[in-house]
Parts: sequence; C-alpha cells; structure tokens
Amino acid sequence: MHVGKRHVLCNPSKIGRFRLMTPRDTMTHDIDQSLREWLPRLRRFALWLTRDASTADDLVQSTIERALSRWSTRHDDSALRAWLFAILYRQFLDTKRRSKRYAAMLDHFRGGRDPSGAHGHAVNDNATYPSVEREVMAQSVLQSLAQLPTEQRALLLWISVEGLSYREVAEILDVPIGTVMSRLSRARQALRRASEGEVAPPSLRLVK
Amino acid sequence: MNNIPSEEDIHAYVDGRLDDTRRQAVEVYLAQHPQRAEEVRAWQRDAQELRAALGSWMPEADNPSLDPSALRAQRRQTWRARQAIAAMLVLSIGLGGVGGWQAHGVRQASREAPMSDAMQAYRMFAQQRGAMLDVTEQHDGDLQIWLDNHFHRAPQLPNLQAAGFHPVGGRLLALSEGAAAMVLYENAQGNAISFYIRPPSKVAALPRGQRQEGTLMAVYGPSDGYNVAMVSRADEYDADVARKALPTAI
Repeated sequence: MHVGKRHVLCNPSKIGRFRLMTPRDTMTHDIDQSLREWLPRLRRFALWLTRDASTADDLVQSTIERALSRWSTRHDDSALRAWLFAILYRQFLDTKRRSKRYAAMLDHFRGGRDPSGAHGHAVNDNATYPSVEREVMAQSVLQSLAQLPTEQRALLLWISVEGLSYREVAEILDVPIGTVMSRLSRARQALRRASEGEVAPPSLRLVK
Repeated sequence: MNNIPSEEDIHAYVDGRLDDTRRQAVEVYLAQHPQRAEEVRAWQRDAQELRAALGSWMPEADNPSLDPSALRAQRRQTWRARQAIAAMLVLSIGLGGVGGWQAHGVRQASREAPMSDAMQAYRMFAQQRGAMLDVTEQHDGDLQIWLDNHFHRAPQLPNLQAAGFHPVGGRLLALSEGAAAMVLYENAQGNAISFYIRPPSKVAALPRGQRQEGTLMAVYGPSDGYNVAMVSRADEYDADVARKALPTAI
C-alpha cells in the first residue's frame, strides 16, 4: 500500500497512519514496566552500597541495560528481584575490580578520611549525598554501616532493608545458604563493633 | 527445645522470620544462655534500627536516564550503528583486496564476478532497510542532490515510477578506490531495486553486461567516469525494470 514518500520499511503491522500494538510491543512494554517498578529499590540499594549518588545511578543504569540484553536468558521461575540485585552487585564488583584505585578515588573526591583512621574507609563527609540523605546519615547505625566492607554492607542491606530471603541472597552470591548464614553472623558482629566504636555523639563526627 | 538453634534459626529470629513455635523455642534457649542472648538482642536492635533508617527511604525524583524504554531505544540505535559499521568494514575491506575477508563470503570484484560489491551492498542494505540509510527521499530530488554532493558530475538517477518503484534512500560506502553509493528503490510489495555507483577499478575495466548470482541479478556498465549497476531480484519483472533503467543512467 502506497503511503506517500515515507515508506514503511520495517514494521509489517503499520497500516496507513495507524500503528497496531504487536504482541512483541506488548511484551517489551510489560518488561519495561516490571523493570521500572524495581528502580526505586535498586537505586536505594545502590546508593547505600556505593555511598555515592552518581555512582549509584550509573550502576543502576548499567544494571537495567544488562537486564534488557539478558532478559531472554532468564528462567521464568527465578525471582526478578534476586536476578536484578545479582546483576547490580556483580556490576559493582566488576567496576571495583577494574578500577583498583576506586576506593582511593572516592576518598579523594570526598576529601575526607575516617577521623579515627581505624578502618581505612572514608566515613561519609556529606559531600556526595543529597541533602535528605545527610539528615538520615546522622543516625549512627548508618555511619557504622558505611564503615563495613562491601559484602557485609550488601548482606545487611539485602536482609534488613530490602527483605530478601536467605535463599535469594544465596542465589545472588552463588554460595550455599550455610555460607550466607556464617557471613551474616560476621556482618552483624562487625556492625555491632562499629557501633560500639562510636564513642562520640554523631554530631561531632560530621564534617562541617 | 531439645536442639540448639541453628545459625539460620538465630538469624531468622533476629529478622522476625520464624513461626511462633520455633520463635518460642529460640527464646527458651536464649533464656538459658544469657551471653548469647545479649548478642542476639543487640543484633535485633541493630537490624530494627537499620530498617527504620532506610526501610522507607525512596529516591527524591525519577532519573530519566534510568528509564527502561529509553535505554532500550538507545540500545537499538547502538546496535544498528554497530551493524552498519560492521557491514561497511566487511565491504570495504573485502573489496580493498585483503584476502582474509574472502572467508566471509565477500568476493573481490574481478573479471569473473563483476559488480559483486553492488550485489553485496544490495544484500546487506536492501534487506535491512530503514535502519541503514544515510539519506531518505523526503522530497522529490533529495537523493539526486545528495548524490551530486558526493560524486562529481554524478549521473542522473533512473526514474522507476512507471514500473511502480519509488526511491527510498541512499547509503554511502567506502571502497579502496574511493566512495561508492547505493540508492534504494522499493515497490508496494516491498521488493527492492538498487542503483549502485562506484569509481572504476584500477585492476579491470568493467565491460557492459549482466550477471545473475543466486537470487539477484545485476546489470552494469561504465558511465561517464564511473561504473554503475542496477541490482534487483532475479525475478523476470524486476530484472526487466533494472535492465531498462540502465541506459538512462549511462
């Protein structure tokens, strides 16, 4: 059917000026919608994992890109939630591995170091968090969380904040549940120790 | 409870994931082991504090660069761009005389197989359509102007309207001898005929002729300092249209 100079080149479902939704369109629409629903939680996890707002969103973006390109490899019965968090976490680890100076770079941009010098991780100095997070960060449990190694922080975020099951965490880390349990014990002990190390009230720790 | 709670039981207790029976059993155990109980209750407080601090935290605003539909569209564009580059590389490397690419089915233009580049271009671009064109015929004459811009004293593009073929778009290609171009025509059934122009080969002068290769037919000949070809499906009607179009180009 001749439709003027702009020719119908690719899409056989175009008829005249009206475009019908093909079954494929509906499928991609549903996939996009599912992914969209998970964005806030992925962003939350990424932010508190990376402790840097722009890195966090970059991480989420590459997670969505990977999710789109690998969608066909998904088994229907595996939970979308665990699958997405797994992609995100592995992306994060890959980025860290690729850039050995990642932690040093982060510290440099923040311009701050842990005042106690005890852990070698930069305690958040508010430079990279949006203002709302700064208020939230005044809570000492989050300052303690920030001091933990990456995997322990990820574990506690998954279990206590995102409500993942132990089985889902085992899937993400690709380890037996027993291993998750012992790592969780160490993470909880570490959080406890970091909190007990907070001898000064939080306000004295904030860099003005 | 006769058994000591497992590590998983303890964590499930901390996280409030045990049913009543098992929870009570853990509590009985903890009542008998005060040191362990102190640690477990501290864990519980930490977990609750963490959940309270972050559980209801949500991003302030949507970030449009994260939208799946937008990322999907970008992916398609990138994919197409890569396909186009790959196709161009195959064509230009194959015809530049680098032997290794022959394994990919790109044969060098030669006395035995003239205008195989024209046919290759047809196969790659006519069959992928809109994604691959550099320019489209939005208004009458757009493509001729485009051709004139890229080729000094370019020949006139044939007019195939009477045969039901309308110009759709064009694509530049890189050959070792210089730039080549393909202009695509299409009829209502979606069949394509292409016009192909390239600088003459330094190796062999192109005689006027026609050649069938698989499902394609090419008619070709020299024209005003260039070599031109019309490529169509080897269908009787289409090939006839292509054949008749060539004299107007030469």
